Order: sequence, then structure tokens, then C-alpha cells
Amino acid sequence: MADRAIKLLVIGESGVGKSSLIHRFVENKFDENHDVTIGMDFKSKVMNVDGIDYKVALWDTAGAERFRSLTPSFYRKALGAIVVYDISNRDSLVKLEAWLAELDSYSDNPNIAIIVVGNKIDQERVVDREEGRKFARKHRALFIETSAKCDQFVSDVFQDVVEKIVSSEYFNNGNSSGGLDIASNRDLEASASTCYC
Amino acid sequence: MEDLLNEVVPQEDLERFEKKYHHELELDGEVTTDTKFEYAFCLVRSRYTNDIRKGIMILEELARTHPDGRRDYIYYLAFGNARIKEYTSGLKYCRAFLDIESNDQVRSLEEYIKKEIDKEVAKGMAVAGGAALVLGGILGLGIAMARNKQKREK
Repeated sequence: MADRAIKLLVIGESGVGKSSLIHRFVENKFDENHDVTIGMDFKSKVMNVDGIDYKVALWDTAGAERFRSLTPSFYRKALGAIVVYDISNRDSLVKLEAWLAELDSYSDNPNIAIIVVGNKIDQERVVDREEGRKFARKHRALFIETSAKCDQFVSDVFQDVVEKIVSSEYFNNGNSSGGLDIASNRDLEASASTCYC
Repeated sequence: MEDLLNEVVPQEDLERFEKKYHHELELDGEVTTDTKFEYAFCLVRSRYTNDIRKGIMILEELARTHPDGRRDYIYYLAFGNARIKEYTSGLKYCRAFLDIESNDQVRSLEEYIKKEIDKEVAKGMAVAGGAALVLGGILGLGIAMARNKQKREK
């Protein structure tokens, strides 16, 4: 069990919904007035992929400016990064460029699996889906749009990135197609951007 | 919560922010709030108690002098105190925080501290119980020996 541990990072601007995604995924809850994360937070969950249990450690980082210089030490040993923006806020996507640069310079894993997540599809859209996808492609990352509030595609975020990690050489499982294919299929059907809740 | 408390700051981080802190102190005679906080944030996550105590001192000062960042300081004060098992102080900071705003992180830290206090109480009772048993044994032995002596003297 111990060697089946996967460390995932969640990064992005303040207020895009990093903690809410984790909260929804781990506890299946959503809190409208979620508090600003202080420094770092940690949650874990056991995920089963192809009959094998993995202990997934989720490191939630504060998006707030004052922690920017302090959080990179948490990037170490991460096998995957969940990079979040808010589809109702263009600036949050623009700023991801800097977050990814930071990830690139501080991560000690050149093959880190990255998924770009456009959260808040329950809100009025400002950033086109295609724009987000292009951004992800440029950075060789997976891509998905979600709503933590309405519980849309949230578990897929974690499933996709963990499947990609598991199928990579790190776990020596061969089978390298799984994660990517599933992600791109889902992209096609996941066009609905309204929800009722 | 335990995973978070067990996470130790990388040595190079601690050294980097320590250097920055002393550099400012020497150059300007004072240290900016940000640098103080960065250094304290590393200190309270050190593996050494003395470092953590130093971090707590810096955070206490920041909480007094810089109200804007108070929620961060109070959270890490609770965090640092929990790491050196100063649970009463840790709990005090958690409550001070939760009086002002509700927060999941602080609530789970508070729960953790309460659990640890309960554990210590239980351990304390076990130790007291054990001591009573030992004391009882010694007493019993003493009485037995005294009786024995009486017998022999007869």
C-alpha cells in the first residue's frame, strides 16, 4: 500500500475553486462560502484503478500572493499537478502560464502528469472551452471543465490524472493509452455547461 | 491532519529564508513583515523544537504588529504549538481563530488537538493507575514482611 502512494498538487490563482474541487471529491460536499486556504492543506483518498488501490495524497496550496514564495517546496515528489482556472475569469487562465513556469522550475519530476481544469461551468462563461483546451495542449496537459458546485466531472479530474500516472512508467504498468484516451473521449461529450442546482 | 503536521520543511528552504532574514536585519537594521513570516513559516515546520519555538515567537510578534495577516499568524501559531505538543496553547489559538471566522482547516486542527489531549489524559490515568498498583504491591509486600517478622520473633 505504501508504495502505491501518489502525491498530487493542486495549484492556481486564489478563488478559482481548488479547495472546492478537493472538498467535492473527498467528501462530496460543497460550501458556497469556502474560506481562503491558509498556506497548505492536505487531504487523502484511496482510489481504485484496474483493481489496485492507490493512496492519493492531495496537497492543496494557497493561491494567495503571500504564500507564492513558500509553496514551491511542496512541489517536490509530486507525480501529478491539477492546475485550475475559473472559466468566468480570463485572468485566472492567463496567470496559469506563470504557475506552470513555477511548476516547471521547482518540480523534480520531469514527467509530472498535468491536468488543466476549467472550473465553475455553472457560472457565466468568459473563457471558451477551445481556449482552455488549446492552453492545455500547448503544455502537453490533459484538459477538462468542471463544476465543483454542481458536481460535474469533478471525480473525472482525479481519475484522469491518476490513470495517466498509473499507466506511465513510474508504476511500470505498460498500458500507456488508458488515461489519455478516456480524457479525450470525455472532452467530446462534456459540452453541457449549464446545470440546475 | 497528522500528515500535515508531520511534513518537515526542506533544509534548504529553512536556510534560504533564514539567510534572507539575517541579511535584511544586518543591512537595514529591521526585517520586513513578509520576510519575518516566510522565516517563521519555515521554522514552525522544522523538526527541531527550538526552531519551532523561535517561529512561534516571531509569529506572536507579527500577530501583535500586523493585524492584516492575523489569520495566517494565528493558524500557524496553533500549528506550531500542536507540533511541539503544547496542546493547551494550540487549542487557545484555534478557538481565537474560530471565534472570528469559521474555517475547515482550523476546525480539523482543533479536532486533532482535542483528540491528543484526550489521549494524554487517558495515558495519565493509566500511569496513575499503574502507580497505584505498584504502591499497593509495595504496601502488600511490606505488610507481609512485617507479619513474617512478627512470626519469626514469636
